[in-house]
Amino acid sequence: MAAVGIPIPITLLLLAAGAFAALGDFNVALLFLISFSALVCGDNAGYWIGRIWGSKVLNWVERSKRWNQLIPPKRMVRSRQYFQRRGGWAIFLSRFLFSALGGVINLLSGSELYPYPYFLLFDTSGEVLGAIIPLMLGYIFGASWEAVGDVLGYSSFLLLSLVVVILLVMRLIKNARILKQVNAANISQADVTESNLEGVPIIATTEISTNPSGNLPLL
Amino acid sequence: MSTRSRLFVTGILLCLALGATIFCAMQTVQAIQRFQQVRTLASEGDVSIIQPWMTIHYVSRIYYVPESYLYEQLNIAGPGSISRVPLRTIAVRYHRSLDGLIKDIQTAIKTYRKQHPHHHSFTNLHANELLALERRMT
Repeated sequence: MAAVGIPIPITLLLLAAGAFAALGDFNVALLFLISFSALVCGDNAGYWIGRIWGSKVLNWVERSKRWNQLIPPKRMVRSRQYFQRRGGWAIFLSRFLFSALGGVINLLSGSELYPYPYFLLFDTSGEVLGAIIPLMLGYIFGASWEAVGDVLGYSSFLLLSLVVVILLVMRLIKNARILKQVNAANISQADVTESNLEGVPIIATTEISTNPSGNLPLL
Repeated sequence: MSTRSRLFVTGILLCLALGATIFCAMQTVQAIQRFQQVRTLASEGDVSIIQPWMTIHYVSRIYYVPESYLYEQLNIAGPGSISRVPLRTIAVRYHRSLDGLIKDIQTAIKTYRKQHPHHHSFTNLHANELLALERRMT
């Protein structure tokens, strides 16, 4: 259920299971196999839900005139191409590092028709870490697993917010450069216009300073 | 959207993201401090870290107190089906307050330690845990 975006604290469950396994209540290897297979199955369910229904929604959004005003088609195409190129990293990292985004990434991967073999590859390799890390931490720290869960949760959000800050800073610098270029282009255009007008006052003065009879008016 | 307004919106979003980052950083530091505190208490065998999710079996293992002794002190008949049931469920099943049940367990552990002062060296509990972990892994 967590694999389709429903907020269930999977990490806390695995931490607790690891803590109980440390006292011999569970077999760690068996726990790993069960949790790993359950996680991969859940991710696959999210992927195929996205693939069957999500892709239809995205196609409709792409064709809808109302949505096109909000999200231009070019941007939609660019972001889809970007996901095809870099989606693997998003899938892999959201298994253990940014686990809060895992469900959304599964649905998005399916909706974007990300190739299933690649999805499976990145998903399984990420979930190996996604299962092992909390199980081992629970196993090692035992009664402190709740505190470990808090540390993992907050540090994951901290990493995510840092990534967002970095992306926004890059965007801000890019927009500032564009604005600078636009301003520079406007200024240079204004310079060109002024230098073109420099000849005009001389001609105008000459014309004004002579009356129709050809005599200078004040002399 | 003009470049200027895009710049403005990005700036606003950046301020919000920075605020969120600072908040998360503070929470992470506090969580780490709490973890260190709990870890120290656990290694000293402090009874204050008993939590509602723990089972009688779990408490008996980490505090080196026989399970049967705990059942006797809590006036609960035998392990039966509740050996691996969380304390919060036991409290509901036996119509007791959770805080009262945890307090009774803490008292029972302290009493046991007084009665058996040389049963375990509580200052070396952490070392014992690590040894047990090593044995399990090899």
